[in-house]
Amino acid sequence: MPLRQIFAIALMLLTPVLARAQHLLVPMDDDQTNHLKAYGLTYNALKDGAKAEWLLNYRGGSFLLPDTPELRRRAGLAGITIQPVDDAALASIRSTIAAGNMDEVPLEKAPKIAVYTPPNAPPWDDAVTLALQYAGIPYTAIWDEQVEHGDLSKFDWLHLHHEDFTGQLNKFYIAYRGAPWFEQLEAQNLAMAKKLGFPNIPALKKDVAEHIREYVQKGGFLFAMCGATETLDLALAGHDVDIAGIFADGTPMDRNADAQMDWSRALAFQGAHLEQSPYVNSMSDIDGHQVNVPGHRQPLGTFTLFQFSAKLDPVNTMLVQDHRSVIPDFYGVTTSFMRNRLKPTDVVLADEPGAPWVKYIHGDYGKGSWTFLGGHDPEDPQHAIGSPPTDLSLHPNSPGYRLILNNVLFPAAKKKPLKT
Amino acid sequence: MAAILFLGAVIPQIPARAQSFGGPGYMRALDLEQQEKFPAAAAAYRAVLAHDPTSLPGLLGLERVYAQLGRADSLLPIVNAAIARQPHVAAIRTIKLRTLNSLGREDEVRASFARWCAEWPGDPQPYEEYAKLLLQDGRTLKADSVLRQGQATLGSDRAFQYEIAQVRASTGQWAQSAAAWRRAVTDNSYLDQAAVFSLSAVSEAARPQVRAILAAPPITAGARRILAALELGWGSPQQAWLALKDLPPDSSAVAAWLSFAGRAEEVQSWLTARDALMLVLAHKHDASVATRAATDALSGGDAESAVALAGRAEPGMDSAEAASTVLPVHLRALSTLGRPQDATRLLNAYAPYAKGAQSGRLMQDVAWGWIRVGKMAEAKALLERAHLGPAGEMDGWIALYQGDLVTARKHLTAQDESASPQLVLALSLLQRTTADSAPEVGQAFLAMARGDTAAAAAAFQQAAKQVPDAATLLLATAAELYNGRHDPHAQEIWESIVVHHPDAPEAPEAELGWARALQRAGDRTEAVQRLEHLILTYPQSALVPQARRELERLQGAIPSTS
Repeated sequence: MPLRQIFAIALMLLTPVLARAQHLLVPMDDDQTNHLKAYGLTYNALKDGAKAEWLLNYRGGSFLLPDTPELRRRAGLAGITIQPVDDAALASIRSTIAAGNMDEVPLEKAPKIAVYTPPNAPPWDDAVTLALQYAGIPYTAIWDEQVEHGDLSKFDWLHLHHEDFTGQLNKFYIAYRGAPWFEQLEAQNLAMAKKLGFPNIPALKKDVAEHIREYVQKGGFLFAMCGATETLDLALAGHDVDIAGIFADGTPMDRNADAQMDWSRALAFQGAHLEQSPYVNSMSDIDGHQVNVPGHRQPLGTFTLFQFSAKLDPVNTMLVQDHRSVIPDFYGVTTSFMRNRLKPTDVVLADEPGAPWVKYIHGDYGKGSWTFLGGHDPEDPQHAIGSPPTDLSLHPNSPGYRLILNNVLFPAAKKKPLKT
Repeated sequence: MAAILFLGAVIPQIPARAQSFGGPGYMRALDLEQQEKFPAAAAAYRAVLAHDPTSLPGLLGLERVYAQLGRADSLLPIVNAAIARQPHVAAIRTIKLRTLNSLGREDEVRASFARWCAEWPGDPQPYEEYAKLLLQDGRTLKADSVLRQGQATLGSDRAFQYEIAQVRASTGQWAQSAAAWRRAVTDNSYLDQAAVFSLSAVSEAARPQVRAILAAPPITAGARRILAALELGWGSPQQAWLALKDLPPDSSAVAAWLSFAGRAEEVQSWLTARDALMLVLAHKHDASVATRAATDALSGGDAESAVALAGRAEPGMDSAEAASTVLPVHLRALSTLGRPQDATRLLNAYAPYAKGAQSGRLMQDVAWGWIRVGKMAEAKALLERAHLGPAGEMDGWIALYQGDLVTARKHLTAQDESASPQLVLALSLLQRTTADSAPEVGQAFLAMARGDTAAAAAAFQQAAKQVPDAATLLLATAAELYNGRHDPHAQEIWESIVVHHPDAPEAPEAELGWARALQRAGDRTEAVQRLEHLILTYPQSALVPQARRELERLQGAIPSTS
């Protein structure tokens, strides 16, 4: 063999695998140094027109991206672990996936994200905006005016957090009346109600809830956390009932409200008992933990994510991708959902074994779907008004925050025919 | 929580106080309780109460023991009998409220509270005690309504300021809480610590309001003490001192200033501690306080005032004591100021009182003064007189200042490099370069030792040309010194290291410095580029996590306040 040929072969053998790779595997198990930013890397790759795959249940729900200098650069900047894989290695991965409870889901399009939040609200008091901001996923903040003007149809994914759709501002007036921030919040909401032609805040929020229901019915994806979960359903079911206390709309709650609720209009819950007292900081008996009701508050435990069949049930599988299956619980205005208040069609994604409540639920409504996660901030379990903002750079591997980001990417998945 | 802690501080005192009027039966019961023989202790406490049914130590002891035995309900008939005999004793009624509450008999707690109010209509204690109980249970809103009821009934909330302060704090109404704490500590100075604990959680945004309330006229010692403690906890010792310095000068103010100085010293806020001690001295001369103030001044970098304070301390001591306490501070301060002649005169004046090793150390202090003014021969001569044993660090430094790297390497490499940043720098240089002689490097180190950072920066930059194998180290040092003076030369040097010496060990540090300088200058785009370049070019550098965090903050990915 001529010397030049030997040299060429030796050079080929010595060329690092890195240079020959065609794909980047973004592992999402314990090898990953920044789980949260990995979602942003994938989202922005999709946004730039690249194709990606979500390898469900493979190494914690890894992502497969094309190997480009730009993606390597972004991963390096963000401190995200990537592993270059060539075709042979990828074939081996695919064969592993085919043999187990795993699946490959193509991700095609970066969903357009809207977050329902008051104008000028800093992103630091809402776990979803915190996560999006940290992961580098762009979103549009919308509020009542945009919703009322029909802007929801411009988005694939809508997020709600601790807004109170019963219009009672989470009954914070009980403890915080006189506090400047509360007075400002009340004035801001009332001004918006008047501007949009509603007599009071409850009337406005009910109508906003109705727009959200229609959005989901027409095919939108809704992700709600904290108090937005419970109050959205209360507002929908109580569409024709006075469910707001006297402090919110000038008239007491209808004493017969429970009997008049139309739960067929609600997304997730049914048969709930409304809290009639304006002095009890609770909306209904949907929440299991009742964090703001002394004497009824339940202690925090842990919740366990359910396993689903990746090949038969990819949607629910996507929503529970995580490198931990047991996660410490965290309080919110609504922390959990009582099992006896769930509709039979709800899918429970996570619960606290042995407890009468569940943590994370999902369901379809019309052509769209909704996902509810109880609690306020996965890394600040006792979050209180005025608590300092959570710095996610200190929690880059947060399993709780991963659940939020699963929801962001889930609408990007290409619909596959169900393999039955 | 503050309430719980506060009670925790009071309860242990009860048995101690009780000894004086509890009698031998009570002491026996207490012993049994301490030995955790609870059934026997219960019987002993019952015996005490059989003799005196209203014995407060006996009732409290039985309350504790029954709680351990899970028999709290057995206490109720005994407490009811005690109340019937002494209906005016609030402590007994409080035991009843507490017991009913621990049994979860909420309706009976309310009824008992209502009866207490009805029987003693002008008494604020039922409201206070019931609200405290509710606060301990975290039932803030209910506590609030009880206090409002008390205020409405009694026509004043003066008696409830402590409880109101806690309620407002627990709901994040910090301004109202601060105002209530201010009123509470005015009547009860022992509540200071509870107030500080309660208000220490005030959010950044609410702090200005809290400051304004606690600092508002008229000046009250309690409010100012709280504010000072809060400011210290929030990391602002200077603000803390501002809160305290205007206290009317009396013995309690002097005590507060002294105590504050100690806390400022703990957080190494030396000049604040010095200021506090100076105010103490203005009202009470004490040589040891003056010495402490001089030491703090020198530690804080104010050698001028250290000299003045040391001068005030010396006349109040005998010469031997001064030689061992204030003289070393005085000499170091003079040396730092480049006044070795004055230091020498002072040293000579105290020569009869400083012996042996102590005398040698004092000479060494003066020798530093000669070095700082560039008089190496005088320094060497003094060191020889000092008889400090074999050549050591001092000789190494002198050699380095003279550019003799061989001798410097010999004497300095044996030293503990954690001693000072200058020694770390010198050792880095001596390890990096193979040069034997570098007078310009010596001049640069000497200028730094003199505290002349402008000359040192220029000298290090110049010396980089003389010692090419340590050029980037010297340049980085020059840049750091320029940066400390806000001199734009720093940015030029960092840029030159990154561009012309990208493989140098100093390159990541230079790039981070460059990025920060750009950020300060408002050039966010270029700062982002530098940070990105650092992260991608030096992924193994220990500075990458820091750079990534600054990048995230610049991009708004994480809160700017964290």
